[in-house]
Amino acid sequence: MTRWTLFFIVLILSIGLGLYYGWVINPVQYDDASIENLRIDYQTDFTLMIAEAYHDNQDLPWAMNRLTLLGHDSPLESVELALKFASQAEYTLPDMFLLRDLHNALQGDG
Amino acid sequence: MEPKRGHWYLLTALILGLSLGLVYSWIISPLTQEDTHPSALREDYQEVYRSLISRAYQANRNLPRARARLELLGDEEPALALAAQAQRSLAERGDQEMARILADLSSALRETPDSNPTPGPENTPATPAAAGSETGDTPTPTTLPEGTETTPTKIPQTEIPPSPTATEAPPFTLQDSSPLCDPELAEPLLQIHATDASGEGVPGVELIISWAPDNRETFFTGLKPELGAGYADFELDPGMVYTVELPDNRTLVTDLEIQRCSNNGGEPYWGSWEIYITHPN
Repeated sequence: MTRWTLFFIVLILSIGLGLYYGWVINPVQYDDASIENLRIDYQTDFTLMIAEAYHDNQDLPWAMNRLTLLGHDSPLESVELALKFASQAEYTLPDMFLLRDLHNALQGDG
Repeated sequence: MEPKRGHWYLLTALILGLSLGLVYSWIISPLTQEDTHPSALREDYQEVYRSLISRAYQANRNLPRARARLELLGDEEPALALAAQAQRSLAERGDQEMARILADLSSALRETPDSNPTPGPENTPATPAAAGSETGDTPTPTTLPEGTETTPTKIPQTEIPPSPTATEAPPFTLQDSSPLCDPELAEPLLQIHATDASGEGVPGVELIISWAPDNRETFFTGLKPELGAGYADFELDPGMVYTVELPDNRTLVTDLEIQRCSNNGGEPYWGSWEIYITHPN
């Protein structure tokens, strides 16, 4: 094996090592993320919190205002996505009911 | 004949490769901000998150769930973070309702210490709701949907209690109102101590102070948890005459005016005032 062949093999392996370290072991940490950047399970819990509060205050404009922070096309879409995830993750029935109530209220509003 | 050049070229390739990999993964194409954790939220969004946790707690009174959600934000002292936000909410936006809601959760956290050890970040449930419910039901493990790169989560069998009905302001009565000479206080203060029948501090009590000509401000007990759950204070100005009321126009003290005091050396300073209120329940 020539020196150049060995050089390129080591080069490619070490690039891979550098990428693994920079993406997996020690990725760039953010501290200025917005609500819409949250992972889907946290987004769903965020929506559930809105649903819990809405169940108490029945303030639909407030709930819609908070849901817009999730950055979807509409508040209704945010709740639909939350319902989908909650269903797949087997949320409890009371939580599902809260999300469904908020969904129904938004549908009625729309 | 080839001269001996050693293996430095391999080290060169290693350093060059690592550098290229790191530059690409950290600068050219770092991980996007998608799929982030609540602790990575910008400060103002963390406040939104904290407010929402407090509103949800007000609705369901599920303290373990609220506590688990707050842990996601990574505050060292969640109760203090809530109290500080309540103060900012009141001072910057005059949002009394939000301040009371935040103070309520802050007080609940302090009054009910966490009976379970706090999980480390690596063990924090993917879904905060997994912290359990006050009903004590056993959480059931579930799996996340395909395509989401998250750790398995647990969902509690939570019974959402019925929505609490609005409560009237507690029937606080004046127990004591007197001038206070304390040279340790940096400025003249009105200090309020709200307690229940057992002598425990009561947080979240709304108080209204007014003074001439038409000044009026609202403040709450419990926003300085380090001084007591039922404690509140308000900075007083010498020469002003104040009236302190509860929200439903029940006057506690009128013609409140701070007095001059003197320290051990005979030097005068402005004194403070303290009021003790209690309710029979």
